[in-house]
Amino acid sequence: MLWLSTLGALLMLPPLVFVFNQRITHFGIPQIVFYLFAVWVLLIVGTALLAHAMPRDELPRDGDS
Amino acid sequence: MLSADFVIATAIGYVGLLFVLAYFGDRRARSNKRSFLHSPAVYTLSISVYCTSWTFYGAVGNAARSGLEFLTIYLGPTLVFVGWWFLLRRLVRISHLQRITSVADLLSSRFGKSNRLAVLVTCIAVVGIAPYIALQLKAVTSSIQAVAGASEFGQGSLKGIDDVGLAFGIAAGMALFTILFGTRHVDAKEQHHGVVAAIAFEAVVKLTALVAVGIFVVYVGGGFEAIFAEGARLGVSVDAESTFDARWLTTLGLSVAAIVCLPRQFQVTVVENSDEAHLRVASWAFPAYMLLMSLFILPIAVFGLTKMPAGSNPDMFALTLPLAFGQDGLALFAFIGGFSSATSMIILESIALSIMVSNHILMPLILRFSAPGGDGRGVTSLVLFARRISIVLILSMGFFYFFFTRDSDALAPIGLISFTAIAQFFPAVIAALFWRDASLKAATAAIAAGFVFWMWCSFLPSFESVSPQVALLLSQGPWGISWLRPEAMFGLEGLDPLTHAAFWSISANVLILTTGSLLTSQSALERIQASVFVDVFRRGNVPSGNFVPGSATANDLYFVAERVLGETRAAALFETEARENGVDPDMIEPSPGFIGRLERELAGSIGAASAHVMLSKVVSGSDVSLEEMMQMADETQQVISYSQELEKTSAELRSTAQQLEDANSQLRELDSQKDEFLSQVSHEVRTPMTSIRSFSEILLEGDGIAPEKRQHFVSTIHQESLRLTKLLDEILDLSALERGERSWENQPVDAEAALDRALTVCEALLRQHGVAVEQGGRAQATMVEGDADRLCQVFINLISNAVKYNDAGSPVLRITSSVRAGAYTVDFADNGPGIARGERKLIFEKFARGQRGAVQQSGAGLGLAISRQIVTRMNGALDLVQGQLPGACFRVRLSVMR
Repeated sequence: MLWLSTLGALLMLPPLVFVFNQRITHFGIPQIVFYLFAVWVLLIVGTALLAHAMPRDELPRDGDS
Repeated sequence: MLSADFVIATAIGYVGLLFVLAYFGDRRARSNKRSFLHSPAVYTLSISVYCTSWTFYGAVGNAARSGLEFLTIYLGPTLVFVGWWFLLRRLVRISHLQRITSVADLLSSRFGKSNRLAVLVTCIAVVGIAPYIALQLKAVTSSIQAVAGASEFGQGSLKGIDDVGLAFGIAAGMALFTILFGTRHVDAKEQHHGVVAAIAFEAVVKLTALVAVGIFVVYVGGGFEAIFAEGARLGVSVDAESTFDARWLTTLGLSVAAIVCLPRQFQVTVVENSDEAHLRVASWAFPAYMLLMSLFILPIAVFGLTKMPAGSNPDMFALTLPLAFGQDGLALFAFIGGFSSATSMIILESIALSIMVSNHILMPLILRFSAPGGDGRGVTSLVLFARRISIVLILSMGFFYFFFTRDSDALAPIGLISFTAIAQFFPAVIAALFWRDASLKAATAAIAAGFVFWMWCSFLPSFESVSPQVALLLSQGPWGISWLRPEAMFGLEGLDPLTHAAFWSISANVLILTTGSLLTSQSALERIQASVFVDVFRRGNVPSGNFVPGSATANDLYFVAERVLGETRAAALFETEARENGVDPDMIEPSPGFIGRLERELAGSIGAASAHVMLSKVVSGSDVSLEEMMQMADETQQVISYSQELEKTSAELRSTAQQLEDANSQLRELDSQKDEFLSQVSHEVRTPMTSIRSFSEILLEGDGIAPEKRQHFVSTIHQESLRLTKLLDEILDLSALERGERSWENQPVDAEAALDRALTVCEALLRQHGVAVEQGGRAQATMVEGDADRLCQVFINLISNAVKYNDAGSPVLRITSSVRAGAYTVDFADNGPGIARGERKLIFEKFARGQRGAVQQSGAGLGLAISRQIVTRMNGALDLVQGQLPGACFRVRLSVMR
C-alpha cells in the first residue's frame, strides 16, 4: 500500500513526469494528460486489487457498539 | 432564458429535498443498523464532500488559467487513499478506540489531553477555513448571477440586491439548515447519519451534473481531439514546461495534508466511519470518483477558452457554456450540481467546526465556571446551544471574509489559502500517529509558528485589494523592513506566493516540531497516550485509565454522566457496568477501568480534554502528579515482570511434571511386567508341583498299590521334578544373563562345528518326529567370537523349536549357513504354521509362546528369550526373518573373526 503511494508520487512528480511532458498527442489528447490519467487509473486498479488481498483484521468492539 | 427567481426557487426546492432526505436518512439509520446508509458506497460518496464548488467551478477556472495544476488537488488525496493501510486505517482505529471527535480532539488527546492545544487547533481551523467557506459563498453567488445574466428580465426580484446581500442570504440559509440538521442531538460518536445521507445524495448530483456538462461540451465541440486541436490552434495549451515546478509540488503536498486534516474530511472519513472495512472500498472508489470528476474539466476549460468571449469568467464555464448554446435545462442542472457541491461543503464543514468550537472552547469555559454541584441542568442542551452558536459564528466568519475579499476574481487561490492553514496540522498528526517522542510543547509551538507564518504570508496578503495598508505592507514590509515583506520573507523572492507561504510555514512547523520534541520532555499522561497511539495495532484494545482510584463515589460519577449524556444513556451505562460486575447499580466501585470508560464515553460528547477536566473535578486525587503517575507505571512494570517470571517458572514446572509423569508410567510398566513374570513363573511351577503332590499323596496313603503302578508314579514324580528343576535353571539362567552375572569370555569358536554338534544332539528328536533336514548350503568352517557350548545351546533350541511347533504332514527343516560381508549367518527355516504377524515381536519375550503352539506344547517359553540373550552377548543378533519355506525362519548373525 505504502509502496504504491510512493510509486504514484514518484510518477507524478518531477523529474519522472518530465519524461512524458512532450508535445505529442495520443488520440488527440496531449500526452501528458494521457499519462497522468493513466497513472491515476493504474493507482486505482492497483489499490482495488491490493485492498481485496489485504488481511481482514478483527475490529475490536467497544462495549456498547 | 432562466430567471433568477426561478433559479433561486429551484435551489430552495432542492434544499427542501435535502431536508427530507436527511430526515428520513436519520430515521432509517437509527432504526436499522444494517441499512444501506451504513454501506461503503454511502461512506465513499460522503468523502466526496472533498469536491466542493472549488472543483465544480474553480477547477475549470484553474485549468483555464494554469493548465494541469488543478489535477494536483485530486492526485494528492489519491495518494493518501492508495496508502490507506498505512495512514487512514491507523487514524480510524485510534479514533474509534479513543472516541476522537475532531482533528483538534485527536491532537489534544495524543498530546496529554491538553486543552490548550485543542483550543489552538480549533482557532486555527476556524480562521483557516473562513476563506474556504467564503469561496463557496462566492461560487454560489457568482453562479446565480451568471444564470440570471445582466438582462432586466433575468434579474427578477434580485434587482437591487448586490452579491453581498445574496451571499448573506445564502450564508443565513445554510446556517439555518445546518443548525436544524447538524445539531438535533448529541451522538456518542458524533455521527450524523441523516446529514451523511444528504451529502451522499449531493455527491451523486454534482458528479452527474459535471459529467453531463462535460459530455455536452465534448459533443458540441466535436470530440476530445477537435477540442484540443482547436485549443492548440488558438494557443491554449496544457503541456507547458512550467506546469511541473515548485507550485506543482506545493499544491500536491497541500492536498495530501488537506484530505487528512480538513475538519470536514476528518469528520466524514474518520468520525462518521461506522466500519473500518469501508476504507477498503473507499481506498479505490474515492480516487475513482475524483477521476470521473476531473475527466471533463480540461475539455470544458479548453472549449470555454476557445468559444466564450474574451474576459468572461472561466470559473463559470460549466454554467455559461450550456447557456451560451441555449441549453437552459442543462444549465439549471449544472447550477444545481454546483449548488450541491457548495452546500454539502458548508454544511459538513460547519458541523465539524462547531463540534470543535463547542467541545474545546465553549464547553471547557462553561465547565470551568460552573460549580461541580451545578444546578443539574442537562449539559446536553448546553452542548447543542454551544454548537448552534458556533455554526452561526463560523458562517459569519466565512461571510466576512467574502465581504472583504469579494473583488478577487479566481476561486482556486482562495481555497489554497485554507489548505495552507490546515496543512499546519499535518506534521503534528503524522507525529501523533507514528512518533512516540513528539511532545506537547513542541507540537503546540510548531502549529502556532506555522500559523503565524501563514497569517503573515498567506492570509494577510489576500486583503491586498481591499486595504491600501496591506498593499503597502506587501510592497515595502512593516516599518520599511524589507526582509519581512509577507511575500518575500527573508529576501526569498521569485517564488509564487502560495509556494512561498507553504514553504516558510511548513518548514518552521516541521523544524520546531522535531527539534522541540527532541529537546523537551513529555509528561506522564503524554507518554501513556503516545504509546496508546503509536502502538495501537500492537497492544490491541487496552483501555487506559488515567485516574488514580480516588474517593469518587458512584453517585458523583453518575451525576456527571447524567449531566453530559442525559438520564437514559447514563443509566444504561451504569446498568451495563453493574451487570458485568454482578452488583447493584448503586454499589458500583469506581474502578480506574470504569472511570476510563466513562471518560471515553464523555469524550464522545464533549471532547477528550473537556471530559478529562470534568472528571478531574469529581474524582479527587485525580490531579495526578508526576510521582503518582510514575509510581503507577512502576507498579505496572513490576506486575508485568512478576507475571513474566511466574510464566517462566510455571513453564519449568510443567516440563518437570511431564518428565515425572513419563518416569512414573515407565515404572508402572516395569512393575506390571514384573507382576506378569511372577504370575507366569508361579503358573509354570504350579503344574509340575501339582502332579508331584498328588502322586506323592497317593503313594503315602496307599498300601494296595501294585508295584508297577507305584513304579510309574515314582518315575512321574521324578520326571516332573526334573522338569521343574530345568524350568528353575532356565529362569535362573535367564535372569543371570539379563543382569550380566553369568559372564563368559568370548573366545574364537568354530560356528560350523557348533552347528554340527547341535544337529547330532538333536538327531534322535528329529528322527522321532520324522522331520527331514535339508542342508541348504553350508559355509566353510568359520571362526566367530563366542562360547562354543552356549552357541550350541542356541542352535539346539532353534532346532527343537522348529521340530516341536511343526505340524505339517511331512515336516521339513532347512538349515542354511553362509558368510557374507564379514557376517556369519545361519537360517533355520521350517514349513510349519509360521508365526502370526502380531506375535513376531512377542515371541522373544519371556514365557511367550506362539498361539499355534501353545496348546500342545509344554515348554516354559523361555528358550527364545535365553537364546536371544546369549547371541546378544556374543555381539550378534537373533531375528525372525522371511524364509524360503512357508513356516518360520530364525536367523542367527554373528560377526566373523579376522
